[in-house]
Amino acid sequence: MTTDDPIIEINDAAVTYDGGETFVLDHVSMSIERGEILGIVGESGSGKSMFADSMLDAIPDPGRLSGEIRYHRDDGTTVDVLELSDDELREFRWEEVSMVFQGAMSSFNPTMKIGGHFRETLKAHDADVTSGMEFARELLSDLYLDPERVLTSYPHELSGGMQQRALIALSLVLEPEVLVMDEPTAALDLLMQRSILTLLEDLQEKYDLTMVFITHDLPLVAELADRMAVMYAFQLIEVGDREQLIANSGHPYTRALLNATPDIEASLEEMRPIEGQSPAPINVPQGCAFAPRCPLATEECRVEDPVFTQLDDGHAVACHHAEDARDEIALHFDRSEETVPVSGGGGS
Amino acid sequence: MSRADESSTGSDQHDEPLISLENLEVHFETEQGLFDLFEEPDVVKAVDGVSLDIEENDVLALVGESGCGKTTLGKTTIGLQRPTGGTVTYRGQDIWAAKDGNGEIPFDEIRSSLQIIHQDPGSSLNPNRRILNILAEPIKLTPPAVGASERRERIHALLERVGMNPAADFADRYPHQLSGGEKQRVALARALLMNPDVILADEAISALDVSLRVEMMDLMLDLQSEFDTSFVFVSHDLSNARYFAEHGDGRIGVMYLGNLVEVGPADQLIGDPSHPYTNVLRWATPNLSRQSGEAGEPPMRKIDIPDPVNPPSGCRFHTRCPEAREACREVAPQLQQSGEAAGHRVACFRDDPNHTYWDSDPLTEDDD
Repeated sequence: MTTDDPIIEINDAAVTYDGGETFVLDHVSMSIERGEILGIVGESGSGKSMFADSMLDAIPDPGRLSGEIRYHRDDGTTVDVLELSDDELREFRWEEVSMVFQGAMSSFNPTMKIGGHFRETLKAHDADVTSGMEFARELLSDLYLDPERVLTSYPHELSGGMQQRALIALSLVLEPEVLVMDEPTAALDLLMQRSILTLLEDLQEKYDLTMVFITHDLPLVAELADRMAVMYAFQLIEVGDREQLIANSGHPYTRALLNATPDIEASLEEMRPIEGQSPAPINVPQGCAFAPRCPLATEECRVEDPVFTQLDDGHAVACHHAEDARDEIALHFDRSEETVPVSGGGGS
Repeated sequence: MSRADESSTGSDQHDEPLISLENLEVHFETEQGLFDLFEEPDVVKAVDGVSLDIEENDVLALVGESGCGKTTLGKTTIGLQRPTGGTVTYRGQDIWAAKDGNGEIPFDEIRSSLQIIHQDPGSSLNPNRRILNILAEPIKLTPPAVGASERRERIHALLERVGMNPAADFADRYPHQLSGGEKQRVALARALLMNPDVILADEAISALDVSLRVEMMDLMLDLQSEFDTSFVFVSHDLSNARYFAEHGDGRIGVMYLGNLVEVGPADQLIGDPSHPYTNVLRWATPNLSRQSGEAGEPPMRKIDIPDPVNPPSGCRFHTRCPEAREACREVAPQLQQSGEAAGHRVACFRDDPNHTYWDSDPLTEDDD
C-alpha cells in the first residue's frame, strides 16, 4: 500500500529466527503516512510486535531482519534504517522514531526518580537539559499529570496509569516525529486506556506527530486510528481507512474478529468466537493461512496465498473471496442506524 | 429477567440467600514509608459498607477501575479475605465464626464450596506438575476417597467438558505446554472439581486475546447452568461484564473507591445507567457502532482516581463527577431503589427529584 507523503516505508520486511526456514514476520510491506494515526491489530503471536520492532531495527537477538525500512525526513532526505551504525540508530530511535512498550514499570529504573529519567535521556543525547526539562513539564501537563509531583516521584509512587503517561512523555522529550506504541495500555483498566487514547489524540494534533499504535484490542484502537491494518499469521491481511475496515471489511478474519469482540451495544446473540487457533510459525498452512478456519475457504485458498488487492480506494485485502465475505459474513453491530450517544457528557 | 427480579434487595421475599454480605468493611493498613512523618498508619478502605446477596445460580458482575475494591469485595465474598467489619454469611452461617470454630457448617466445607479463578492462570498452576496431578490434588484432599482410575476418569471427563480434547493428551502435559486460554480452562476445571456453589472469576478473561474472551465466557456460562454454580465475575471491562451478566440473566454491580454505587439487572444498568460513574464506564467501553470521534471527551472532570488513603468527603465520586454540586461534597448518598426496575439501586442524589442537591451550586474544577 502506498500513500501520498510517506514518513516510513517498509518494503518486504521479514524476520526469521532459524536462518530463513520459518518467518515470524513474513515479508510485510506497509507505508505510513506523515501525520496519521495508524492502528495495527493482531492477536498474540500474529507478528505485530515484530512489525513494530522492525521499524526501529530492534528485533531481539538472534532474529534476523531482511527487507528495507526507509525513513523520510521533513527536509526531503531519506534514511535507510537498516544501514545505520549503532550510534546513528540510537539517535534515530529517540529523536526521529520513538517507542513506548507495554508495562512502564519495566521501562523505568525503580531506583531513579522520574525526573532523573528525563535528565539522563536529555544528557545522553547532548540536548540542553534546562530547556528539555521545561518541555518535559509541558508534556506531563499535556498528559494531565502534575509535573512537580511526578518528576520528584519514584516510579512505584505513581499509579499504573500515571507511570504509563510519564513514559509517553519521556518518549516525546526529544521531539521525535513518529511515536510507535506496542500495547501501551494493555496492563491498565479500560477507563484509563480510553483516557490515555483521548490524550494521545490531543498530543498528535498539538505536536504534529505520526503515531503507530499496535494492539490486540481492535475496538480500542478503532476509537483512535485514522487508518488500520490487521495482521494474521505474521502477515498483513487487510489495510484500510478506519471506517472501511470497521464497517466494510473484506477479509473473513477481520469480520470474524469484529464479531468476536464483546461490545456495549451489539446484539449478544451475534457475538461469537472464531473457531480454531491461529498457526505457530512452524506450521503456517500452505495457501491462505486463515483457510483452515475460514467459512468461505475453497480449494484455491488452500493452494494459493492471496496477494494484496485493492478493494476500494485506500482499502486493500489479501483474500480470494473478499466480495463474498462482505455479503456472507454479517457483522454483529449496525452502522446504518443512528446510535444513541452517551448521555450527560463532560464539558457541560 | 425472573431471577434478577427475585435476587433484589429484600431478603424477606424468599428463604435464605446463598451468600449474604451485611455492611461489609475491609480496611487495610498501608505500609509506612521511610519518610512518613505520621505516627498512625494510613488506612485504605478497600470495601466500605457494602451489603449484597448472592442467590443460588446467580450471576453477579463487579466492575470498576483498578483500586475500586472489586477484587477485595469478591475475595471477601468467597471467604478468602477476612472483613474488618460487617458479616459474610454462607447459607445463614457466618463464615468467620465458622473459621473460629463456632459454626454449624465446618469452615473447610464452606471454603471448598467457594472457589476462585485468577487473572493469571499460569501462576496458579504448579509448573512442575502435570495437569493430571494438579487436578488430582483437590480430589485426594476431599473425602470420600476414590481410587486412582476413577480419579483419572473424572479428570478426563472434566477436561473434555471444558473443551480440552483429547483429554488424555492434555492431562499428560505441564502448564507451560498450554496456551493462556488452555491454562484458564484447567483453572476452571479445578474449581469445578469441588462442586462449588460460587466461583469467583477474578479478571479471569482479561489476559486473553479479545477473540478468545467470548469463547471462555460462553464456556463458563454453560457450566454455570450445568453445575448449578453461581458466578461472581470481576472485570474492569463493562462490555465483558455485560456479555456475562446479560447472558447469565444476572446483575452488574459498579464499585467506586470501596462503595457499591449502582447495582441492577444487566440490561437495565447498561441501557439506562443512573449513576454518573456508570456513565463514565459506559463511555470507556468499546462500541463499534460508534463513528470515529463520536465518543467525545470523557464525561468526568479528572482522569486519575483519588488517593484511597484520603478519599473525598461526601460522595466519593464528587471530585471527578461532571454533575457534582455542593451537596455531594457534604453528604454521602445511600444506595437506594432507582426507578421501576426491580433490584436496580443507585447511590446518587440525582436519582431523587426532590433532593436538596438540585438547589445547591455546581462544583467547578477548582473546588474539590
